[in-house]
Amino acid sequence: MIAGLAGGIAARLGVSTVYVRAAFVALALAGGVGVLCYLIGWLVTPDQRQYGSLIVAEEPPTTTQRIGLALAFLAVLIALDAVGLWFGPVVWPTVLFLFGGALIWDRSSAESRERMARFTRPSEGDQPRSRAQIFAGVTLMVVGVVVVLASLRSFQSLGPVAIAVLLTAAGFMLLFGPWVLGLLEDLSDERTARIRSEERAEMAAHLHDSVLQTLAMIQRTDDPQRMITLARAQERDLRAWLFEPDGGSNGGSVHEAVADAAAKIEATFDIPIEVVVVGDRALDDRLTPLVGAATEAMANAAKHSGATSISVYVECSDDSVDAWITDQGAGFDPDTVPPDRRGIAESIVARMVRSGGEATIVSEPGEGTEVHLRSETR
Amino acid sequence: MTTIYLVDDHELFLSGVRSELSERFDVVGWSTDVDTATDEIRKARPDVVLVDVHMPGGGGLAVVRNVHATNPEIRFLALSVSDAPEDVIAMIRAGSRGYVTKSIDPASLADAVERVASGDAVFSPKLAGFVLDAFSETEPVEFDPELDRLTPREREVLRQIARGYAYKQVAARLSISVKTVETHVSAVLRKLQLSNRHELARWATERRIV
Repeated sequence: MIAGLAGGIAARLGVSTVYVRAAFVALALAGGVGVLCYLIGWLVTPDQRQYGSLIVAEEPPTTTQRIGLALAFLAVLIALDAVGLWFGPVVWPTVLFLFGGALIWDRSSAESRERMARFTRPSEGDQPRSRAQIFAGVTLMVVGVVVVLASLRSFQSLGPVAIAVLLTAAGFMLLFGPWVLGLLEDLSDERTARIRSEERAEMAAHLHDSVLQTLAMIQRTDDPQRMITLARAQERDLRAWLFEPDGGSNGGSVHEAVADAAAKIEATFDIPIEVVVVGDRALDDRLTPLVGAATEAMANAAKHSGATSISVYVECSDDSVDAWITDQGAGFDPDTVPPDRRGIAESIVARMVRSGGEATIVSEPGEGTEVHLRSETR
Repeated sequence: MTTIYLVDDHELFLSGVRSELSERFDVVGWSTDVDTATDEIRKARPDVVLVDVHMPGGGGLAVVRNVHATNPEIRFLALSVSDAPEDVIAMIRAGSRGYVTKSIDPASLADAVERVASGDAVFSPKLAGFVLDAFSETEPVEFDPELDRLTPREREVLRQIARGYAYKQVAARLSISVKTVETHVSAVLRKLQLSNRHELARWATERRIV
């Protein structure tokens, strides 16, 4: 848990980490011998993270070997007790208690989920080992506690009710702790898996709705211009989805809104629109009309200019948003626009004025058209 | 005649560009992978290399870096389907003198090659927009007035380019000569390549450029 030493030793011996930890704690009570051992072990052991899982027992130890290990450890404890490194009569109950707990917490022998299944449905009766293990653990702990109580009369002055409550709580935690931990782990595993599969599903759905549909449409059309338009629109869409931080799904900013509008005009009128946006800001009551006017200007350019492409440049600064919609097509004389053509007057100029902005249209026959929209945001 | 070399892992695109440009330029070679390209460009020493950004084995960036280290006189024009800012800025900072997307029409591409061959920079509207974005008007924390800030005139030239105007039109609109426009753009290119501007770093980080 601290330097991974217990885990390393456990892997080497082929036993569960909890027993090794219990052993260290027991030794630590013997005048700090465990702490010393741990520090020395830590210093002389190669870092496991560096060597990966190379240090593992080739096969799990047999029952005889397990008993041997336990006896060897017992011998060490008796020796330490005899030397007098231990303090007081709490030694043996503590050891019993520690290993009882370790038995219960040992989760290495089976998948935690299966363990829980056995634990909650012991009536199935096909997992005797687990039940026996838990029973043994509880017994060891109870014996340990009883010995402590018998040896420490002073405890009794605390009042039997308090002790009973404490013991019940401790026992409950020991018994159900592994299960709760296992449950939490399973939950987080499941959540990770679910997020991954949701991401995959979202990707698949997006590709299906967009790329596959477009490919199908391209196969069904004979008009090369239409194919180009479809491919361009799809490219723009996919690019936005792949490269833009929010996946291009959020239409809440000036950048997104202008790019969306350009994509629609491009698809409708078969004309490429180059959109460049510097800076960005959230759409609000003043900027929505600006995007609307820009859309109208793009549509006008697409319909009337005869240009091969349209450029849109938007610059968002701290106190204003400017948009230029430029084409290098036929151009027109702004003074001779028939009054029934409401596009420019109503949808561009009046719309900007109503929202407190302004629109300037510069055009000359043969010289292309530039529409400048400006909205102060302060 | 200006000699050019083409690097692109898409054979179809490669042959298309080759036939488009072979009338105005001497195409001295082409290749579809990074290592061959690096070797052949060093031998052939073309005036201009047209290089695709996304290729296996390090991409166009590796070609530009490799050749630029040994032959700084060879000029690069990056050509890519991607107009993601990280690609654009990385190619320019590696030493490329321009960046155009593959949707460019053949005549504009030829003009761009001429411009790079004569030592000028080629800024597409997108690239101009990125630069304006990166060199935003706020004052950088540590700054070198030479490199970290655009002059008002440079900014105006970039704005015009971002609005879709060709260099010649920009010159007419600002009542300056085409040569002056080219000088401004080359100065901006130099700043883009050399500036350690705080804003550029932040901007690049935000867009996942390392």
